Amino acid sequence: MKRFAVLLIAASALFLGQAQAQRVNLLCSPDLAWCEALGPAFKEATGFDLEFQRLSSNDGLARLRAEAANPIFDAWFGGTGDPHLIAFREGLTEFYEPTVWDEIIQDLKDQVGGTYIPLYAGALGFVVNEGVLDGKPMPQSWRDLTDPMYKGLIAMPDPNSSGTAYTIIATLVQIFGEEEAFEILAGLHQNIAQYTSSGSAPGQLAGRGEVAIAIQFMHDGVKFAAQGFPLVSYAPVEGTGYEIGGLSLIANSPNRDAAIAFIEWALTPEAQVLAGELGDSYQIQSNMNTPAHPLAPDFAAINLINYDFNTFGTPEVKERLVGRWTNEIFPTPR
Amino acid sequence: MLGPPAARLDLDAAPPSNPLRTRRPAAGLAVSGAWLPAVLAIVGWWALPIGRPNRPFLTLEPELYAVAIGHPLLWLALFAAVAALALSFLPIATARRGDLVLVAGVVGLASVVAWFMLSTIPFGVGALLVLAGLVMLLGNALSESGRVQGDAFIASSILFVSLFVLLFIIYPLFTVLRSSIYIDGRFDFSVFLRTMRHPLFFMLGNERSAVDEVALTLRWGLAGLVGFGAFALWRRARWTAILTRAVLGGALGLVVGVLLYGNGALPTSLLLVSIVAPTATMLGLAFALLGQRARFGAVRRSLDVISILPIITPPFVLAFAMIFLLGRRGLITYNLLDMSSGWIFGLPGVAIAQILAFTPIAYLLLRGSLSSLNPALEEAAQTLGAGPWVTMRTITWPLVRPGLAAAFLLSMIESLADFGNPIILGGNRKYMATEVYLSLTGRFNPNEAAVYGAVLLLMVLGAFFLQRWWLGGGSFVTVTGKPTSGALAPIPRGLEIGLTVVLFVWTVFVAALYLSIVVGSFAQLWGVNYTFTLKHYQDFFSGAGWAVLLFTARVAAVSAVPAMLLGFLVAYLVSRQRFWGRRFVEFGSLLSFATPGTVMGVAYIFAFNTGPVLLTASATIIVIALVFRNMPVAIRAAVAGLAQIDPSLEEASTMLRAKSLTTMRRVLFPLLINTLVTGLIFAFVTAMTAVSQVIFLVSPGNQFATVLLLGWVDQGQLGRAAAMGTILIVSLLLVIVVVLQLARMLGARMVGVRT
Repeated sequence: MKRFAVLLIAASALFLGQAQAQRVNLLCSPDLAWCEALGPAFKEATGFDLEFQRLSSNDGLARLRAEAANPIFDAWFGGTGDPHLIAFREGLTEFYEPTVWDEIIQDLKDQVGGTYIPLYAGALGFVVNEGVLDGKPMPQSWRDLTDPMYKGLIAMPDPNSSGTAYTIIATLVQIFGEEEAFEILAGLHQNIAQYTSSGSAPGQLAGRGEVAIAIQFMHDGVKFAAQGFPLVSYAPVEGTGYEIGGLSLIANSPNRDAAIAFIEWALTPEAQVLAGELGDSYQIQSNMNTPAHPLAPDFAAINLINYDFNTFGTPEVKERLVGRWTNEIFPTPR
Repeated sequence: MLGPPAARLDLDAAPPSNPLRTRRPAAGLAVSGAWLPAVLAIVGWWALPIGRPNRPFLTLEPELYAVAIGHPLLWLALFAAVAALALSFLPIATARRGDLVLVAGVVGLASVVAWFMLSTIPFGVGALLVLAGLVMLLGNALSESGRVQGDAFIASSILFVSLFVLLFIIYPLFTVLRSSIYIDGRFDFSVFLRTMRHPLFFMLGNERSAVDEVALTLRWGLAGLVGFGAFALWRRARWTAILTRAVLGGALGLVVGVLLYGNGALPTSLLLVSIVAPTATMLGLAFALLGQRARFGAVRRSLDVISILPIITPPFVLAFAMIFLLGRRGLITYNLLDMSSGWIFGLPGVAIAQILAFTPIAYLLLRGSLSSLNPALEEAAQTLGAGPWVTMRTITWPLVRPGLAAAFLLSMIESLADFGNPIILGGNRKYMATEVYLSLTGRFNPNEAAVYGAVLLLMVLGAFFLQRWWLGGGSFVTVTGKPTSGALAPIPRGLEIGLTVVLFVWTVFVAALYLSIVVGSFAQLWGVNYTFTLKHYQDFFSGAGWAVLLFTARVAAVSAVPAMLLGFLVAYLVSRQRFWGRRFVEFGSLLSFATPGTVMGVAYIFAFNTGPVLLTASATIIVIALVFRNMPVAIRAAVAGLAQIDPSLEEASTMLRAKSLTTMRRVLFPLLINTLVTGLIFAFVTAMTAVSQVIFLVSPGNQFATVLLLGWVDQGQLGRAAAMGTILIVSLLLVIVVVLQLARMLGARMVGVRT
């Protein structure tokens, strides 16, 4: 009995014994390499420690919701804007106006209003492995994708699990109107080899030759190309939609001061250049003074649509469009 | 080699009643053993904070000491502990005193628990001591009052184990199941019904397809009805039998129809199971026959290696290796066979990956059940003139049936719960285990995730009880206490050649897969550019990889010890003791084994993020999740080991007045050291490669290697993923070999000294 008691005390002290110091707990949604580059640079600039958990923006929102009553994270860095917007509307995050607010690109600020801080922007496009096309022409427009010659050669993310896929649907609806957009999606469905659960997986499939054409964000295509995959990324001629990556302060965060210091730092050009230099991430950064990385897709050369984040970011619209896709397109036999 | 993992927690065998334990304790113990736990509880109450402000654990906030809070319930708890302490020294008859201490203990425990539930303050260090003290005090009281047959250690263990099962298995599952129908404070079946009717879950009548699935399914049902009915008629069965068989056949036909024409996660997962489970079981049986009876030693040895591979292989890696061998640009399919298709994405790919992973597990189980056959039976058949085929059909086959059922069930559970393969190779189909994850993360709907989880859990439990019901009658025990000897019947030669060919193809394919992982880790860009490089290993050691791997190893090691000890304790209690609540403990450990990891992960987040049992964002919660995930495996290993030890050894020890803890430590431990170490390694290794149960529990600073691996895979860092895979496989293999060798030497020495 005595021995048992002693053992119990020792055991509980052993594996429960861990104190937490003051530091930023970061929910980090972009590329892992970018997340890894943040910690040391932030420590050098401000002296604060930083620990991060990399979760895709959807996983991140799920975690924030699950932990809403008692948040673990202090700030949410990166990831597509829709989940940031939802988190803000649900009171999971709060809007913080950074001192460098004036240096943030005006268009991006107009789009998101006072919900979250724009961190970067990235446009949708086609990521193509020409070798797998076997001489077929590269698709130039959204409509080209419905051509039967591409049957089994296209991959896109699954709208039921990926925010990128929803951005694709919302973009098509904004360019063509809802009915025509769903016609295109139906035609596209006939050519799809695989709906992937993650937003950047289609580009990998294309890179390894499992498919020829991936529909996804161009900067991810650029990243895979930089890794050595034989891929080219470009935007369709009808125009394309884009995402605004977000940066948010978590409501009731345990280390609020450190979180604010991080947000201030993360928006400086010195911090934002890390994305391209160390982070394998080639989005357009939100601070207008941040020099664009040479590999980053040039927004001036892309026909960007005037993406309506306020309408298409609401859960109701999203649920309706994804629901329509799930009921009308997904069950269609191929 | 490693023991098989739990398939059937075979805890049903009634424990032998031990005459020595049925007496009521002798009266007149001068001091009750309850004094020490009472002191523990008082110290915990007085000297340490009972609560904590939030997540940080080792804080000594003055306002969270029980004295400072000063709630009446807390004072009552202290009063009860002091009363128990005083009672311990009073000269009363032991049984009577036991009853009084029991009352004090129940009052104390109830008031502490009630206070926590009312205040919802997270437990502190002090609370741990108070609760542990009070539970041990209760154990002492139960034993001394004679209400539990067994000494204080046994009684406390029963209490602790039941509490753990309640807190870490039943309660989280209850929370998650409840949230499928109890939403925003009231019962609401709308999410449940909506999910059930959703095309992602199940859809039969698809108005967009050219064929009419409902009519086709009905046709299958009709065919089953007519076919089975006609067969029964032909066999001249009684008309009631004809009727029941026809109805059964019709139902079977409908199920087949649904599997063939249905869409959505439910039919896909069922179809997958109905492909994988029989195939893996039959292959497992084939290999088990070879492993035990092959004429060539090389065949047997290669099986030993094959059987541990899937256990030490981290998730995702093998699925990727398959893409590189069998994909559109795969080494085998494109370069050798000149095919170009994406067939691997979807049911075929997942099925192959699962068969590869689960056949060795079925093999381990079936080898166990084959080697426990009494060869004398086969010998008798052959002496009576039966040929090898007849012996096989009439003797061996019926006797391995329970083993087959166990292997079948295990493959079924694993296939339903598998997360890594469908998420990589799933293609356009939906799978139950991944939908739990995706409905939470992709569609932000925890209630929907709960519905998927509930259905999945019910399927697994249904399969489990079906198996139990099917095997219910009949004894399959051929091993009696006395040693048997005899020559094993050899396999018929034709069969052996056929099986050896299957094994050869299997081995070549598996070798190619693992080789391609190693190659991938040294290639510039796996699948595209095969220039030799060490950069992935450099990245691994300089980046986050190495630190995370070390952390994972530490967590896995910390979790393996309690998993093994707890498993051993539970096994001892259920197989050697009779107590009220035994069924409950059994059911709990069954649940923790059968629950798919993603469901348990969600359940832990739901249950332990706020309130008294706040545990999220710590290494502790990962450790606990892994302990209760791996405990059933240890239980099964220990139950099997205990079954081989004659209880008379323990009785002798008890007769010599050794307490049960001493008996356990000095008699059972040395005898079981091999089994226990095997259980320990198994718990460690499965913890290292676990993903689905920890994916929701990782937090900043508490990263897990497999979750990191998923991140790399997600972002195309396949070289680094392959490097981590290679390092994991090689190091786990080393751990297994070295530790098993040590255990063998240690076991020999301990038994040698003490017997």
